[in-house]
Parts: sequence; structure tokens; C-alpha cells
Amino acid sequence: MSKTQSRIDLKSYKPKDADRVFFGGASLAAALSLLLVLMIVAFLLNGSWTTFQQQGLKFVTGSIWDSASETPTFQIFPMLYGSFLISALGLVIAVPVSIATAYFIQFMAKGIFAKVAISIIDLLAALPSILIAMWGLLVLTPVATGWSELLTKHLGFIPIFANDEPNAFRSPFIAGFVVAIMVIPIITSVTREVMSRVDKELIAAAFALGGTSFSSLRRVVIPTARSGILGGILLGLGRALGETIAIYYVLNLLFETNFYSILEPRGGSIASLIISRFGEATPVELRALMAAGVVLFVFTLIVNMLATAIVQRSEKRMAS
Amino acid sequence: MTTTIEGSMEMTTQVETKRLRTLDEQYHLEARDINVWFKERHVLSDVSLKFPTNSVTALIGPSGCGKSSFIRTLNRMHELIPGAGLAGEIYLDGKNIYDADIDPVSVRLKIGMVFQKPNPFPTMTIKGNVLAGLRLSNRRTRDENELVEKCLTRASIWNEVKDRLDAPAGSLSGGQQQRLCIARSLALAPDVLLMDEPCSALDPGSTRRIEETIRELSSDMTVVIVTHNMQQAQRVSDQTAFFLAEENQPGYVVEFGNTEALFSSPNDPRTEDYVNGRFG
Amino acid sequence: MTQIAVRPTNATPWKNRNRKNVALIAIASVAPSLIAVIVRFLLELPGAVTLLLIFLPLQLLFSALAALILRGKRGIADAFLNVGVIFSTVAISILLGSVLFSVISWGLKALSPHFLYQNSVYITPTTSLEYGGVGHAILGSLIVVGLVTLATVPIGIGVAVYLTETDGRFRGPVRFFSQAMSGLPSVVAGLFIYTVFIASGLVKPVGWLGAASLLLLMLPTIARMSEEVLKLVPGELRAAALALGAPRRRAFFQVILPAAKTGLITAVLLGLARVFGETAPLILTTNISNETNINPTSDGMTTLTTYIYSFLGAGYDTSRQRAWGAALVLLVVIGILFTLARIFGSREVGKK
Repeated sequence: MSKTQSRIDLKSYKPKDADRVFFGGASLAAALSLLLVLMIVAFLLNGSWTTFQQQGLKFVTGSIWDSASETPTFQIFPMLYGSFLISALGLVIAVPVSIATAYFIQFMAKGIFAKVAISIIDLLAALPSILIAMWGLLVLTPVATGWSELLTKHLGFIPIFANDEPNAFRSPFIAGFVVAIMVIPIITSVTREVMSRVDKELIAAAFALGGTSFSSLRRVVIPTARSGILGGILLGLGRALGETIAIYYVLNLLFETNFYSILEPRGGSIASLIISRFGEATPVELRALMAAGVVLFVFTLIVNMLATAIVQRSEKRMAS
Repeated sequence: MTTTIEGSMEMTTQVETKRLRTLDEQYHLEARDINVWFKERHVLSDVSLKFPTNSVTALIGPSGCGKSSFIRTLNRMHELIPGAGLAGEIYLDGKNIYDADIDPVSVRLKIGMVFQKPNPFPTMTIKGNVLAGLRLSNRRTRDENELVEKCLTRASIWNEVKDRLDAPAGSLSGGQQQRLCIARSLALAPDVLLMDEPCSALDPGSTRRIEETIRELSSDMTVVIVTHNMQQAQRVSDQTAFFLAEENQPGYVVEFGNTEALFSSPNDPRTEDYVNGRFG
Repeated sequence: MTQIAVRPTNATPWKNRNRKNVALIAIASVAPSLIAVIVRFLLELPGAVTLLLIFLPLQLLFSALAALILRGKRGIADAFLNVGVIFSTVAISILLGSVLFSVISWGLKALSPHFLYQNSVYITPTTSLEYGGVGHAILGSLIVVGLVTLATVPIGIGVAVYLTETDGRFRGPVRFFSQAMSGLPSVVAGLFIYTVFIASGLVKPVGWLGAASLLLLMLPTIARMSEEVLKLVPGELRAAALALGAPRRRAFFQVILPAAKTGLITAVLLGLARVFGETAPLILTTNISNETNINPTSDGMTTLTTYIYSFLGAGYDTSRQRAWGAALVLLVVIGILFTLARIFGSREVGKK
């Protein structure tokens, strides 16, 4: 490695000029990336502006998507709501089991077993969504359909489990389950990491004060790691909101708001709307899709910024 | 039928306890032949010490001689370290705390511990820290405020914090944090208080105040303190144990006895060298 | 004076149990599963129902009772915690294991040497697996990802250098925007490229457009991770180099870069793993083709992910098998990138 060092020889430059080249290169890269971002923002806003203008606030609150008529109407509420419904379902399943798994790996698993588990969880967090989509479609759907039918049969009197449709394929529940599988490794990985950074002396103090595993977890570990765990959950939410291909395969996209019938085969998601409509969209509709993309981006942006801020704050607090 | 059996069992335990009590009348804490391992490494060999009721015992010796490991065996904190191993018995009021039917939590409630680095819970208030032991062991008290005042007073920090009991514990200075940690242990009304180099991270002023606190506490509890500071051992303790470990050998107790005697006329030349600052 | 004693086998007295304790623990760990199995066969319940409604409550109850007898009231919460945590972890392991197992077991059935190098010319969704393969898709993935890497690595690391090594005026905005962009949903990135280049009629869908859409996703990732890595280089190292009179760029190339090299490689590898698996943007920006095409500036270019997309969508058994085969290839690629990242990442920053 020392050879690599000595091979870099910039002596032929005059020092001042060479430093200028070095800084110039870095600044150029920064300028390029800034330019790229500004271009994207400009194009996205420019492309979606007419839609926002024509549709007004109804674009996000209304429920009609009609590109055929002379004055087409584009409103995305069912899709926006669907994105959040599926993400919420995913998180409801994912959060408790992720925290439990993180606790298991960090505090119960030992030695090499824990190390391997950490590696596998990190690998699964990087698993392409198309693989989970395939699994969701071909392996999970037949099984989960059976669960759905059972739920409807025995608990159908509870509105969220009612299902008046002839089948239970491609429902928000199954989409939510697939999303859960996707975000579980992410939330588990972040939560375990945060738990591992809780000062060991604090946990020792909790036990020395007569704490049990449960009370130490509840009174000391969770409160200390709380904001980091929340950051991990938000990170998972950001991923769930933006997920396209996995939901596209396991959800029946219908343009009506399905508020709570999670077992019925109808639902929505902005990302799925874009991927399923772009090919045959008229120019006006394409601009509406772009506007829908902008709305989705705004939400993922808020979620991600919140996650970053919370994680940074908790890191600062833990460091002090 | 059942009552008779239970009754007779109770009697035998009572008899046993009584016998042990008479044997070690004034010692309610006793370590017998303690050996400690980490994985396969033998770090402490055959330590037997008796701690008289309401006395202060100082454990001195160079770093790495097993003092801290020993003190952690006294309240079953040792077993929380991965790879920990132990042989020997610790008797508290005549009962081996490592018996199969003893819950470690009940031991730790009777034997409190103060750590080397002040470690109040950063997410709790000052008051919350004092009450943390109750919350963690899921117990209640009739008057929380009274308990908080009592414990903080005994740890001689009440006057400094009485106006900001709801401030986060992290806002205190290092010395105050350590006294808060002492108050936190006192809230559980332990019989024994273990202190693992409680002043090593503190300035001389805070150290002196904690030493005064230790003297006061010993009026009604047994204190075991690990320290590197020989003046401190002389100032606070009634009896002293000198631990030593040769290279790659387990630590052991060289000399154990009355503090004054051990410092003024040690029996072992190694003790003499150590207390006179010739090594360690 | 003292002798090292070999650690006796019973050096963990806290694990000792008397006969009553052993019996209790044995009953609590075996009985619930036994009862659940019996109930399942008597009532012919589905597996998931047995697990959730029979086994889990029984296990909670038995463990709590055992804990109550062994440790008193304070043991109950710990028993619930242990049962809940182990049950969740096992359930998750089964589900996530099922994902990996499906890909590997179905994928292996489709895999053969020719599957790895042949393309899909004349292959229909129902053609048997003796013919055709993912050769063109592997090549396509490599070309697209290679293009992205060539473009993003210098720019991304440049941005990171700008953020950590210079005192440029725009560090705030640059950092803010690169953070913001890392939350860009991939389908929006694809839609952006699609609208600007394809819907406007400028270009037909070709490989480099796919690369362009992935660039929007990879650039912020690389920039952020590289910044983190460069920030980890100890400040003293930097100060020492400058104190010796080295110009800034010399300090960077000869001191900071070597110290941060493995970290930067890890960042790039993880970025690669992410774009290798992207599907949605490529569906929007490239055409799927059955032929081998090494020219990213003309005609369709299939990648592993769009290959899976098209054959999965076709819906026949044979086409699904092809999709599983491609999925396994993709999994192996991700696994290799990830393992390499682990190897480099385990070396500490600041050491060589």
C-alpha cells in the first residue's frame, strides 16, 4: 500500500496551482450534483405545475382519475391513502417483531451466532425488492389468502376483516405483509445497532438496582434508545412509501378509496399508479403522474428528514 | 399432613440458619474460597473474606488483580459478564446466595452497588433516578417524596438538588452524579453497599464528601469499597484486604486484617512495599 | 504461591438447578407444543391458527406459571418477554428464510450452464428451459451498472471531498440536497428520465437512460456514505499532515485517501448492491429485449431485474422458472457484493 502512495506524484505541478486543481475538482463535482438536483426539482415542478393549477387542492383530496374526457380530471386521494394504509399495515406487523428480533440478537444470542445473524439481517436489508415481490406473489399470496379467508369467516363481523368480494387475492393486507417483510430487516438492523450503543454500565446499573430483563428493557434500554428506534421506523416508512414493484405485483389497483377493508382485493399506491399508467398515458396524464410523484417525494422527503434529524439528535445525546 | 411436613421443613431450615449464625455471629456477609474465571482464564484464586456487620472493608491492590471481579461476585453481578465462571460460596445471613433456589434479583436488592464511573440514567430526572430501583424492581413506597429526600440527604446531596428534582440527571457535575448514584442505591434500603472505585473519576473535593458519606452510612450498613487510593483506604475503612496478581497468575489475597495494623505494620513484605508506594 | 486452577465444568453456579426446577422447566418447554400438536390433529386446525391461538397463549401461560413458582411475581414479565421475543424471532426467521429458500431452491432448478450465457432470442414464455438464458441480462446489468458507477463514483466522492476537505461556501446546500435526494423514490427517478427524454420524443428507451435514472439514486448514496467515511478519518491525521507543510491535496492523496480507502470501497460496493437490484426505474427507461446488446446508446437492453419482471409477468410455469433462475443469479451477485463490502468494511478506518 505504501507503493500506491509513492506512485501518486504531483510534484510536477506548482503547489499553488495543484491545490487549486484539487479544490476545483471537488467544487466541480459539488456544483454538478447541485445543478443536477436543481434541474430535477425544476423539471418536476415545471412538469407538474399545470396539474396542480388545474386540479387545485382537489388533486390530493379528490377521488376521480379520468383521462378520457375532454377536460380530464386527475385526483390521487385513493392512491395516496392506499400508500399510507399499506405502509401503516406493514409497520404494524414489522415494528414489534423487529424490536423483538433486535433484542434477541443483541441481548440473548451469543458469540458467533449473533455475528452471523447481524450479517444476515444486513444482507436482507439490501435484498432487491423484485425478489420479495416474486416471493410475495408466488409463495406468500396462496398462504396469506387462506389466512384472509379464515379471518373473514370467523371475524368478519369486525369491519376491517369483512370481505364482500369473491376472493381475497391482491389485498392491502397482503401488500402490507410484503412491505413488512421488506422493512423488517431495516428496522431490526437500526434498532439492534442503537441498542448495542446503549452504555453497558447503564444496563449493569439497572440490574444492580434489582431490575429484571423486562424492567431493564422497559425502564432503561428502550427509553435510552427510543429516538434511534424511532429513526429506524421512519427509515422503514420512507422505504415502504416509495416501494413500487413489490406492491405492484400483489395489489389489485382500483381507483376508489378502500378505507379499511384490508382483506378485500382493492387498494392503491402512488408508486404502483405510476408504473401501471405511464406507458399508455396521454401527455396531460403524464404530467398528472409527475405531480403524483412530486406529492410522494414530498412525503418521503419529510419522513426521511425527520428520521435523519432524530437519529442525529440521539447520536449526539448518546455521545455526551 | 401437609402442614406437618411444611412445619418440619421450616424447622430444619431455621435450625440450620441458627447454627450458621452462631458460627459467624457478627459477620452477615462472608466469601468462602472464591475462584473466578473468564472463559478459561483463572483470574482470582481462593479468596475468603469475612465482612463484619456495619463495617467498612477496603480492597486494595494494583490494577488487574481481580478486586473488581471479586466485588461483583458478592451481589451476583459477575454472572452477567459473558464467559464468567465462579467456584466458592458467598454467605449472606447464613445462606449461600448462589443456591439454586435463590433469585439473583433478591440478592441485588439486599446488596447495592455503586460503579466506578458515575452512571445515572440519562433519560430520567434526579428524582426519577432515586426512585429507579423501586420502578425496576416493581415495588412501591407510601411516600415517594419522603424517600427521595431521605436518600438524597444521606448521600449528602439534598441541599444542592432540592430545588431541581425534576431536572435531568445529566445536568449534575460528576461528583454530584456519583452521590446521586449512591442515593439511588440507598432507596432500596440495602444491608450491604458495594463500591467499585467510586472516586476514581472525581476531583479531591467530591472525593472527600463521598468518603464522609461512606463513614456515615457504615452506622447501619456494611460497606465494601475497592480503591486504588491508599490514603482513602486508611481514611474510610475498618479492615483492609490486599490483593495481588503476579504476571499470568490469578489474583489472591496477600494480607487481610485491621486497616491500621495492615498499614502500620504489615506482615508480608509485599504488602509493605505496596502500601509504601514502592510498586503498583 | 497461587496455582492456576483449570476451570471446573460446574463453574457457573447460577445455572445450577435442583430437581424441582428442572422438572418445571422441562414441563413448561415441552407441554405447550405437545398440547398444540394434539389439538391441531383433533380439531384439524390450520397451522397458523394453531401457532397463534393455541401454542402461543399456552406457552405464555406455562412459562409464566413456571417463572412464578421459580422466581416469584417478578419472573412473570421476564417469561412473557422471553416467549414473545423467541416466538417473534423464530417467526421472522421462518418468513425471511422462506424468501431466501424459495429463491435458492426454485432458482437451482432453472440453473444450468447455458442458462448463464445464452440469450433469449426465440424464447417465448412457454419455451422449455433447455433453451435460452439470462446471458444478455447479466451483460445488460453489468453495462448499465458499470455506466452508473463510472459516472457516480468520481462525482460522489468529489462531493464528499468538497463537504469534508474544503471550506466551500455551498457546503450547507450541497449536503442538504444530497440528503434530500437520497429519499427520492426510485419510480419517481425513472418517471423523471422517462418524461424528459422519452415522452418528449428526444430518445428511444436505451441502456444509458436506465443508467441515468439509476445515477439519480446512486449519487446521493455514494456522496453521503463517502462523507461519513471521510469524516471518520481522525482530525489529528489531517492536522499532522498539514502541520508538516504538505499542501491540502497532498495531505488528501497521501494521508487521508489511503486511510479512508477501504471505507470508500465499502460505500461503493453497497451503492452497487442497491442499483443492481433496482427494477422500477429501468421498466420506465429501457426496453426489454431478447437479444444480446452491448451498445447502451441504441435498442433495448435487458437487465436481470427487468428480465425477472417480464418473465414473472408472463405468468406461465416455465416463465416463472426462468424468473426464479434469474432471481438466484441476482441474489448471488448481491451476496458477493455484500460479502466484499463486509470484508472491506471490517477493516477499521484510519488503519491500513
